[in-house]
Parts: sequence; structure tokens; C-alpha cells
Amino acid sequence: MGDPNREDMAEVLAERRYQAISKIMEASVSRGEGRWTRTEIFDHVFLSRALGLPIFLALLWAVFTFTFTLSEPFMVGTELLFGWMGDLAAAGVENSRIASFVAAGIFGGLGSVLVFVPPIFMLFFALAILEDSGYMARAAFLMDRVMQSLGLHGRSFIPMMMGFGCNIPAIMAARSIDGEKERMITILISPLISCGARLPVYVLIAGAVFGTGFAGTAIFSIYLLGIALAIIMALVFRRTLFRGEPSPFLLELPPYAVPGAKTAILHMWARGKWFLVRAGTVIFGTVLVVWFLAAHPWEATAGGVLIENSYIAALGHRLEPLVSPFGWDWMAAVALLFGLLAKEVVVGTYGILLGSEEGALGMSLVTLGLFTPLSGFAFMAFVLIYAPCFAAVVTIAREMNSYRWAAFAAAYLFALAFIVSGLIVGVGGLLGFS
Amino acid sequence: MDADYSKETGRILGIGASILGAAALAVGLLEIFGGWGGAIPEDQFGGLVLMVTAAAYLLGVKGAVSGRYEGLSFIVGGLFLTAVFGVLYLLTAGAEALMYLLGEAEAFPGIFDLRPEFWIFLLSLPLARRVRRLLAGMAW
Repeated sequence: MGDPNREDMAEVLAERRYQAISKIMEASVSRGEGRWTRTEIFDHVFLSRALGLPIFLALLWAVFTFTFTLSEPFMVGTELLFGWMGDLAAAGVENSRIASFVAAGIFGGLGSVLVFVPPIFMLFFALAILEDSGYMARAAFLMDRVMQSLGLHGRSFIPMMMGFGCNIPAIMAARSIDGEKERMITILISPLISCGARLPVYVLIAGAVFGTGFAGTAIFSIYLLGIALAIIMALVFRRTLFRGEPSPFLLELPPYAVPGAKTAILHMWARGKWFLVRAGTVIFGTVLVVWFLAAHPWEATAGGVLIENSYIAALGHRLEPLVSPFGWDWMAAVALLFGLLAKEVVVGTYGILLGSEEGALGMSLVTLGLFTPLSGFAFMAFVLIYAPCFAAVVTIAREMNSYRWAAFAAAYLFALAFIVSGLIVGVGGLLGFS
Repeated sequence: MDADYSKETGRILGIGASILGAAALAVGLLEIFGGWGGAIPEDQFGGLVLMVTAAAYLLGVKGAVSGRYEGLSFIVGGLFLTAVFGVLYLLTAGAEALMYLLGEAEAFPGIFDLRPEFWIFLLSLPLARRVRRLLAGMAW
């Protein structure tokens, strides 16, 4: 698009259409004198200039507190189950190499990822309730106000909100945006919205370094950081690569509805099942590679026990200088490297390297001194920002019809991850946080 | 200007919203500034949420007393937030009880371990009932 006359025409046509609809409604619909509808009652407060945004933030915080605190016992139960199954399977296999693969690879690596099924499903359940109630459209309207005030296109926020589930449909949903520049900006900033695949990393690290009481708040702040960075980067792109005024944005708000449990569960399942599919395919495959590299050379690692002698440790020590300024060690370096294939693998890698029996994983991260609250928060921010998963990069290339743009997206996200994590560690250190 | 509902109902809504708003404001401030004994924990985000809830109630008082839907709307917002966080903290207590049963928590949560947001939610139920009756006749 990009033709201002055509954009003006679209705005005028839409306005005329709504005027005609209003006239027909006035002539044909009777609501009783002065009576408001429930939707008007709710909108008056939820879209109010003073309280709209604070209420949105409060609800978002409730979603993450709900996700973290309620899923905890289910995660512990799953951990106990996988620990028990791992011991049982390893004891029943005579071949030491296969026993190591079953115990460390499948139950340690894959199991440590599957433990995060409860929070992912709970997050999608909470988001489904917000969507089915009609509130999510209001959230887009509220964010449109913020984005328009910065000279950005409000429509970008709708695909971005889809990114809470998975960045790939969010990138593809940018097709619905008319203006080419707006579409490009939306695609480039969509990976900054925290997808479900990153949630296991946040839950693991936040639970370990902040404890149950503040983990939900830490995760909430990471999601907010993603939204803030997306807005900042959109602004940067608007002022540099894609100059011009945003095209008009019309959003039709659906009436509110009481969300049904059955529909919410169906939506939760539709969104959450991809996690199980990924666990059985890309995550399993990657975890297999990580286990192989962690357990070999077989003799040198004494059958996967002395990890420091493994191929993965050699690789990690080579990459360590890149991450050591943030206070992370070689394990973080390899976890982030394999996380490029799928973000959940970050957790799976730690599961293999540290063992995951009976909730030991999070505890190990702290007791071994791998993370402090500050370095843990910086790590969460890095996982949020650094290049999206491989499938998302391919989708960016397809949607922008250019591998150069996909490479640009990956490069700018990497650079941004280093800058933001560096700032968190640097400024946090200056403020006395450890 | 005519009232949207009776002055008597408006007066009841106004009094209820004032009480709930004041309670949310007081507890919210205590949560932000260090808590109070074991009854009110220190929780900055929780406190900020209570401040938003209090603002919704208190912004609705004047309109509600005049019998205007504008006032009712803010009270509905306050009641909604109260319900969301009251139920959330009740579920959190349930999760803590499950953690105890799994051997991961030191003590079974008692009724006095419930967050003050839950007690504000209970306090809001009579007003919520009154508001529900007002909303019952309205179309979506």
C-alpha cells in the first residue's frame, strides 16, 4: 500500500459505513430510554483513560501469578513421576549406554521439558478466558492508544498478542495489516513477544532464583519487558528503515460474554498441543544430540558422569567468553546455543547437564552458583530477546519474501539481547543488586 | 438529569463502594510499605493492584450516589478486580495445600493464612449481589 490518498479513502469509506449503520440502528433498535447495555457498563471502566491501562496490567499480572502458583504442585507431581520412571527404567536396562540414554537423555532431558506442560496449559487457559470474554480486543484498543501516541500502528498489537502463544502465527497474522511498512515492522518486532516455548525457561529460572513468592512477578516483568522492547523497536524502525505516518486503524469491539469452561479448555488444548507435538519431535531430537554430546567420549566421561570431559563441555568452554560478562558459565552458553532450535531445549539441556530428579534442577542452579537473582533475570531477558527459534526465522523469511530480512531480524535481536542483558547486569550491579 | 436507577440503590452502592475502596486502599498501602504482622504480607505488586481496585471503587462513588450508570460502571470494575484476585488467592492457598500433601511445603495453609484480598472479596459479596440485580435486566 503506502499511497496516502488510498489510505484516506479507506478511512472515509469506513467512517461513512459506520454512520450508515448508526442511522439504521437508531431507526430500528429500541433499547429503552437511557439504559446502558452490560457491554457499555464494562467498557466505560475497562476502556477508561484513567483506569484502562492499570486494569489491563493488573489482569496480566493475575494471569502470570495464576500460571506460576497454581501449576507448581502439578509440576512437582510430574517431576516426581519422571524421576521415579527414570530410576525404574535405568535399573531395568543392563547396557550402561542405553541406561544412561534412558535415564539422562529421555527422563532427564525430555522429562525436564515436559514438567512444564502444566504452566503452559494454565497460561493458555487464562488467555483463552480473557479472549472468550471479549477483553483481549479491549486490550488491543488500549495498547492502540499507547502506540498511536508514539506514531505507531495500533493494528500491530493484535498479531503481537497472538505471539503470547507462538510467534509463528503472530508473524503470519501480520498479513492482515494493509500498509506494507506496518506489516514489515510488525513482523520484525513479533519475536519480542514472549511465546509459550520460553515460559519453561522463565518458570525454571524465576522459581529458582526468586522463590515462589516473587516468581510470578518476575515472569510478568519479563513479559512487560518484551512488550516495551517491541514498542521501542517499532519506534526505531519507524524513524529509520520504514519512515512515514501510520495508516488509520479501525477496530470493531465484540460484545462481552461469559466465557464457558468447555470453550476455554478447547482453546487451551488447541494452543497447547503444539508443545506436546514439539516435545515429541524437535525437542526430543535436539535433546538426543545434547545427551550424545554430554555423554561422549564415553570413556572420558565415565559413561556420562564426568560432564566436564564431554564434547559439550569443550564446546561450552569455547563459547563461554561470550556469556561470562553476564555472570553465566559454559552451561548457559550451550543451553542458549541449542535453544536456537527450540527455546524449551534450554531447560532440557540443563536437565541433562545437572540431572532433574525430584525438583533438583532449579535448586541446583542456585546451589551450584550458576545464577543469582540478577544474573538469572538477565538470562531470562536474553532468552526473551535473542534470535527466535529456527522455525520462526524461516517464517519471517517466507512472509517477508527475503532471507536477508530474516537474517537482519536474527542479527538485530542478538545485538539487542546482548545490550539489554548487559544493561540489566551493569545497572543492577550499580544499584546494589546481586 | 434523571437518575438511571433509584436514589436509594445509589446510596447503598455509594456506601458499599466507599467501604470497599477504603479497605482496598488501606490494605494496598500496607502491602506496598512493608506489610503488617503476619496478616498482611509485603507485596508491592499485590499492593499496586489493590490501589487500582480502590481507585475503581472510589471513582464510582459520586456517580453511584447520583444514580448514574457511569458510577455503577466503576463499581463493577472494582468488584470484578476484587473477585479475580479473591479467587486467585483462594486457588493459591489450594495449591499450597497440594504442595503440603506432596511433601514440598512445611505447613498446611490455615484459614488465617489467606491473603487479605480474599477477605475483601468476601466483604464485597453483598454489594456484588446488589449490582448483579441491577445488571440482570440489561442486554449484553
